[in-house]
Amino acid sequence: MSETSTVFPSTPQWEGDGTHRIPFLTYTSDALYQRELERFFYKGHWCYVGLEAEVPNAGDFKRTVVGERSVIMVRDASGAINVVENVCAHRGMRFCRERHGNRKDFVCPYHQWSYTLKGDLQGVPFRRGVKQDGQVHGGMPADFKTSEHGLTKLQVATRGGVVFASFDPEVESFESYLGPAILGYFDRLFNGRTLKILGYNRQRIPGNWKLMQENIKDPYHPGLLHTWFVTYGLWRADNKSQLRMDSRFRHAAMISTRGTAGQAGQVTQVSSFKADMQLNDPSFLDIVPEPWWGGPTAVMTTIFPSVILQQQVNSVSTRHIQPSGHGSFDFVWTHFGFEDDDEEMTQRRLRQANLFGPAGFVSADDGEVIEFSQQAFESKPFHRTLAELGGHAVEDTEHMVTETLIRGMYRYWRDVMEA
Amino acid sequence: MSTTTWIDALATDALPTDDVIGIEVDGRDIALYTVGDAVYATDNLCTHGHARLCDGFLEGHEIECPLHQGKFDVRDGKPTCEPATEPLRHYPVKIEGSRVFVRLD
Repeated sequence: MSETSTVFPSTPQWEGDGTHRIPFLTYTSDALYQRELERFFYKGHWCYVGLEAEVPNAGDFKRTVVGERSVIMVRDASGAINVVENVCAHRGMRFCRERHGNRKDFVCPYHQWSYTLKGDLQGVPFRRGVKQDGQVHGGMPADFKTSEHGLTKLQVATRGGVVFASFDPEVESFESYLGPAILGYFDRLFNGRTLKILGYNRQRIPGNWKLMQENIKDPYHPGLLHTWFVTYGLWRADNKSQLRMDSRFRHAAMISTRGTAGQAGQVTQVSSFKADMQLNDPSFLDIVPEPWWGGPTAVMTTIFPSVILQQQVNSVSTRHIQPSGHGSFDFVWTHFGFEDDDEEMTQRRLRQANLFGPAGFVSADDGEVIEFSQQAFESKPFHRTLAELGGHAVEDTEHMVTETLIRGMYRYWRDVMEA
Repeated sequence: MSTTTWIDALATDALPTDDVIGIEVDGRDIALYTVGDAVYATDNLCTHGHARLCDGFLEGHEIECPLHQGKFDVRDGKPTCEPATEPLRHYPVKIEGSRVFVRLD
C-alpha cells in the first residue's frame, strides 16, 4: 500500500475482503470504538464478570464492568447470582464504590433510593410526601410505580463457577455462544470443582483493547518476546500444538503440550536469550501434571470480547479486559485454584502465577509492546499491520507458526462491524 | 413480684384517628398508633434507616416508613416488608379514664 495523502482517514481502508492487513484506524478511531462497545460489549455477546467463588455468601457483591458500563455481580438470599447496572434509576448516579462487600440491599447515597439484591426498587424516601399539620405534601405522583424503576438487570449465565452477563435480552445461550470446540476447552478448566480465589493483579495498559485479544491469539510472539519462556523450557518450537476456533472465528484456544525430548538448547528453535541463566529458587518451576489437563500443558483461551482464560502448567487465572476509550484498557487478573488443592498445590499455583507477573516479565512485556504499537497507530492511522504468517486464510492448525487466529478475529470483526 | 410501671403518656383526646403520632415517654421517642378503638405503641425510630415512623403512613395494622418503605406490624413490631428486617420494640398500652398509659420496662 502506498502512503496516501490522507494521514487521518475517516473509515478504515481494508484490502479487499481479507483480514491479513489490519488498518491502524481500527485501533485509533473513537467512532469505531463506540460501535465496538455497542455491537460487541452491549449487544449479542456474553461478557465475563467474575467467578462465583468471589461472592460465596448471600449479600456478597463484586463491582466490575461490562464494556465501559459499571455493573455489580451479587448473590441474593436465594443463592442466585444477579448482575445489575451500577446506575441509580433516579438521577443516574453510579452509587456503588466498593470493589467487594456484603449488603442486604443497595442504597444510593444521593437520595437513599434503595434496591433489593435482585435490582428491584424497594424504597423511595418521601415517596408518599411529608405530613405536616394533618396534611400530606409533595411526594411522587400517584402513577409512580416502583416496579417500573428498578436497576437495569443483565442476563446472567453461570457455568463451572464462572459468571458471564449480557445487556441483551435476546442474547443466544452461553453454550451456543462459545460453540462446541471452545466449550470443550472451557469445561476442561471449569469442570465443576468449586474454585478458590488466590488473588488479583491489575494493569492499566495504554493501548486498544483488541491488542490484548490479539496477543493471546498470537503464538508467534511468546518465544521471541518472552525469552524467559525459552530459557526455562516453557516454550519450545517442538511443542505439540493446536489452534482451534469457534465457527465464527471470534473465540480461540491455543493448545500446547510441552516437548519432553532434550534440553531447550538441543532443539532447533529461536535462540534463547541468556541460555545459561539459572533460577535461584528452582521450586518456581516445580510443575506437577494434573489429571484434568488430559494431555496439554498449556491452553490459552480467548473468549471474545472480554476475557482470557489461562492455564499455563499449574497456574490458572482469568484475565478480564476492561476497555476505557479507544486507547486504554484495564487488565484484571484473577488467580484461582480448586477446593480440593492441598496447601502444597496452592503454594505451587501462587508461585507459578509469577511466570506471568513481574518476575517472569511476561505481562510487563506484553503491556509495553501494546503501548508502543498504539503509539505508532496514533501517529499514522492510514497505515496497517501485517498478519500474514501462515498465509491469508482463517483455519484451525496443528502448529503455532501462524497468525490465523488474528485473521479469524478480524473476519468476525468485519462481519459484525460492517453489517 | 412484678414491678410494672405504667406511665401516663397522653390524653385520649389527643389520640389521632386511625393514624400515628410521635410522643416522648420518659425520655424515649415512642410512636402511638390507633386502629379503630385499639391503641399500640412501638419505638418511633425505624430499625432500618434513620427515620421516624410517626412521619410514615399507617394502613390497617401496618406502619410504612417514610424513608425506604419498610413496613412493620404495629401490634408486635415484626417487620412485614423489606428493607425492614429487624423487629421494632413494642410496648403494652392501656387506657384508663381519659388517659393513655404505656409500660416501657
